[in-house]
Amino acid sequence: MDKHEIDRLISRYNNEEATSAERAELERLLEAGVVSLDDVEVLRTLQSRISRMEVAGPSPAADDRFYKMLSAEKRADRRVDWKRFFSWPEKVANLRLASVMLVVGLVVGYLLRTPLMPANDKQINALSQQVSDLQEMMMLSLLEKGSATDRLKAVNLAEDMNDASRKVTNALLRTLNEDENINVRLAALEALKPYAADSNVRGALIRSIARQDSPLVQVALAELMVALREKSSVKEFQKIIESDKTPAEIKRQISESIKILI
Amino acid sequence: MNSLGDNILMTKVKNGDLDKLGLLFERYKKPLFGFFYGMNKDTAVSEDLVQNVFFRILKYRYLFREEGEFRTWMFHIARNVSHDHFRKIKWKGKEDIENWKDRLSNNENRQEEYRHDDEMRLLSMAMDKLPEDRREILLLSKYQEKRYREIGEILGCTETAVKVKVFRALQELKEIYKQLEKHS
Repeated sequence: MDKHEIDRLISRYNNEEATSAERAELERLLEAGVVSLDDVEVLRTLQSRISRMEVAGPSPAADDRFYKMLSAEKRADRRVDWKRFFSWPEKVANLRLASVMLVVGLVVGYLLRTPLMPANDKQINALSQQVSDLQEMMMLSLLEKGSATDRLKAVNLAEDMNDASRKVTNALLRTLNEDENINVRLAALEALKPYAADSNVRGALIRSIARQDSPLVQVALAELMVALREKSSVKEFQKIIESDKTPAEIKRQISESIKILI
Repeated sequence: MNSLGDNILMTKVKNGDLDKLGLLFERYKKPLFGFFYGMNKDTAVSEDLVQNVFFRILKYRYLFREEGEFRTWMFHIARNVSHDHFRKIKWKGKEDIENWKDRLSNNENRQEEYRHDDEMRLLSMAMDKLPEDRREILLLSKYQEKRYREIGEILGCTETAVKVKVFRALQELKEIYKQLEKHS
């Protein structure tokens, strides 16, 4: 429908000449947004007259009632604040914040908690001690075994111990000095490294140098002494260099170590 | 245009400054009364219903959303209040004789009010003869100043649907008016 036809339709409607089909067509155009209500003069006039229909406002008594209700609500609002506190819809944001704070509190509490109750602490310590004792016992009995594999297992067990006792270090030193298997001796030396700071262990290691006939163990000891910067070991290494049994390559390596230590 | 001011005032009410509701009452008591009076032609009932609207605004103030428009929200409540009232009347089955007396006196008042304006008197009578839903849409259109999108929000329909409803109501009003004019 072109603009001319629409204008003609509106005009017929305004002049009360529109048929029911034309009224339906106008409604359709209105629905489609082609025509607005204000485009139809008769409808615009009617709406304008409705707008001008004046109605007196409510009586002053209604004002009184409203202001009484308002002051009653104000009094109630002041008096029962807790009631508002529990009116959940307006407190949703607060509740959300409170739950977040609760979770944060729990996490912080968990992180800052005292590690364990003293009574539990004692129990745990006692249990740890028992485990260590068992490990030590097993290690010492394995070292006595005839099989090199068992003795290696024992040395590895000693390596796993966080804080080996004097009994264990002495057993390891004995293994270093006396075990017939070079691999077991090397493993014992490796296991003794963490305890080299102990003056007794360190002294025993220095004394062990002269007792070693295996070049591999000698070199390993030389490297350890260099790492420990143990100058007093030089005299012991000197003996190895002077020995005719020591291979030339080992002599050269130990000499290098002595140079570093001096 | 009070919309921004309305929302600021209502937000203050929502946040506990209840005195600001007085300003909104002064601003809207007349349009609300006009809407209710247009629906039921009863002064006392209309005053009660205005009071009821502001009571609900106070009670449910925490539900007001600043992004919406206060006037639309208020007329939404007004419409519910009006419907509740009509439901109550229907449930009661009949109205008191006293109410009829009031209505008769109100009609007399109207005749007095529109004594110098026959057109307005006829239009008022024609409006009264319209079915409730048609009268409601025309009153909403009047008090919402033809903002059809907002009326759609109140009625829960589209802007286009509101325009069609207004068109049909005006069409019917026109017919009734013509008949009244013929017989006057």
